[in-house]
Amino acid sequence: MAACSIKPAIPVILKELEQGSQFFHQGASLRVTGKLQEYSVDTAIAVITEADVSFKIDTQHLRDLTFRIGSYYQFIGELLVFPEDSAILQARVGRNVDGLDINLYHRSLQLRRQFEVELMNSRVT
Amino acid sequence: MAVHVKLLAADLLSLAVHHASCPPSFTRKGKPVSRAEAVGVVVSRERKDKYLSFLVDDGSGCIPCILWLNHRSDRERDLGVAAEMAREEAATVQLGKLVRVRGTITAYRGVVQITVGDVVVERDPNAEVLHWLDCVRLAKCCYDPPP
Repeated sequence: MAACSIKPAIPVILKELEQGSQFFHQGASLRVTGKLQEYSVDTAIAVITEADVSFKIDTQHLRDLTFRIGSYYQFIGELLVFPEDSAILQARVGRNVDGLDINLYHRSLQLRRQFEVELMNSRVT
Repeated sequence: MAVHVKLLAADLLSLAVHHASCPPSFTRKGKPVSRAEAVGVVVSRERKDKYLSFLVDDGSGCIPCILWLNHRSDRERDLGVAAEMAREEAATVQLGKLVRVRGTITAYRGVVQITVGDVVVERDPNAEVLHWLDCVRLAKCCYDPPP
């Protein structure tokens, strides 16, 4: 299957997407979640927010997704970092996640990361 | 284990493959596993006449899945009905959908995959989070050998 070359998109919290972060690099495959703050039909650029951090999403490749301001969305795609250290996620997949318990999501994500590290370490030893 | 073992993709894709048996068998930390359950987002799909292949991304890895459309497991004797069910399931597997996949662990060209027994689209976005927690808890309490 040629599609096996697709990299897994690491789930991140918006506040982790800042310069110097391990996730903030050109071409990183990421999964981001946030509330839709703005959406431009002309440019297909969406802005999502979470805990006072906003982030731009390029949604031009998405089909069959309705955008509603105030709803929660999750996007999977690749990070495009510009020279001035701003960035945008070029989404290849998106979905509405209204009803997601964000606090549970964040706490579970931390547990999951810890488990993945333990899993990796157990393979090494 | 004859049950469907709940695994994160990183865990599933790193199972040890034993080619001495035919078909190959799989072990996790020394314990045999034959069936798995995974939850993630469909990030790729390819429909052919006889099968649907798709990738499920759970953030730790992308699990290749294959859903045969021309036959099903032995429990389904009526191949016509089974094939129709498989085609209906295949139609629900669309890019961006959160799906729960259960099936037999197989290998194709050296890569671990799931030969799908059933696949359902999850409407509740929290289902994925609960699956993560299940995976972590079950790994520590049930799947891992005692320290």
